[in-house]
Amino acid sequence: MVQINLPQNSKVQKGKYYKDQTGSKNIRKVNIYRWDPSTGENPRIDTYEVDMDNCPSKVLDLLNKIKNEIDPSIAYRRSCAHGVCGSCAMNMDGKNGLACTKPHKEIKGDINIYPLPHLKVQKDLIGDLSTLYKQYASVEPWLKNSKKDEGKENIQSIEDRSKLDGLYECIMCACCSTSCPSYWWNGDKYLGPAVLLQAYRWIIDSRDEERKERLKKVADELKLYRCHTIMNCTNACPKGLNPAKAIASIKKMLATS
Amino acid sequence: MTDKNPLSPHIQIYNWHISSLVSISHRITGIINIIIISLVCFWVAFLLLGNANYDFIQKFFESYFGKFFIIGAIWSFTFQILSEIRHIFWDLGFGFEIKTSNITGLSVIFGSFILTAIIFILGRNLF
Repeated sequence: MVQINLPQNSKVQKGKYYKDQTGSKNIRKVNIYRWDPSTGENPRIDTYEVDMDNCPSKVLDLLNKIKNEIDPSIAYRRSCAHGVCGSCAMNMDGKNGLACTKPHKEIKGDINIYPLPHLKVQKDLIGDLSTLYKQYASVEPWLKNSKKDEGKENIQSIEDRSKLDGLYECIMCACCSTSCPSYWWNGDKYLGPAVLLQAYRWIIDSRDEERKERLKKVADELKLYRCHTIMNCTNACPKGLNPAKAIASIKKMLATS
Repeated sequence: MTDKNPLSPHIQIYNWHISSLVSISHRITGIINIIIISLVCFWVAFLLLGNANYDFIQKFFESYFGKFFIIGAIWSFTFQILSEIRHIFWDLGFGFEIKTSNITGLSVIFGSFILTAIIFILGRNLF
């Protein structure tokens, strides 16, 4: 259901203010969403003054700098720092993206950093993605092929292979799903752009033999048709993919088959 | 996750862009259009009741609020129609690139205002 307001325990309060200790002249304010599970307090926004003269270019570098030099208690996920693993997905400046590929120069004014929207927060910038992973498992994201392994390649034409371009690159960072208002209101039933893009990736694979079953499974008023082409997903995708188009392709296949 | 864990902020912090604005306006104008169509039905039914009613409605349409109502209704309909055309192209599989969707979204917004002006002027015989 549509619930615009946050629940009482999620209302964001003003937090601490960390003044700059370095005496630098090139300072930017960074506002970060904080929630500590051990205190039972409401989430708060902490503000950090960061010396930008000695800070590398990306938002993740900025977070690392804060964690290393100002406040070690801040928690966020990160791993590869090259836009490949999808761990550091978060909401920066009102838009979802990967902290490791987003230059802080692109952000005007104060830098606001929140966890991915409409998730249960585990700590600070870490959201709980278990629902999304369950939904991902529900589309059975593996090749279904009755051919026995004969020690040979399962050959695919260049044309068929090219249909997977723009789909296989998805790193499941959840930027798109958590940017989608439909997924916010119906996240328990609607699969969301990330999972539907994956579903389409297996539907369109020429080597997969269960296209019909897959289509049948996803053809559901709530699972698929909650997509109203709001396009937040495509705008958010840090890999430049187009989940909205993938969802429309599933709808089109269902309408024409 | 337990209820203890807070829900991260969503619509409060997420940036608006052209497509999301057109999408929510499409919904709102859709609801408004249902109301307007019902009102038009009442209007027609009212006319059957005679002269006095006609004068009453004519006076309402001549008032400033009446004119605002008419212009609002025309805008609501033109916006809905243009946005619906955009949706038809989407359903056919075209126009999903960010650039294209921004252009079509902007043309829906500006087109609806231009069409509203044209229809109102034509309807008032101002040409």
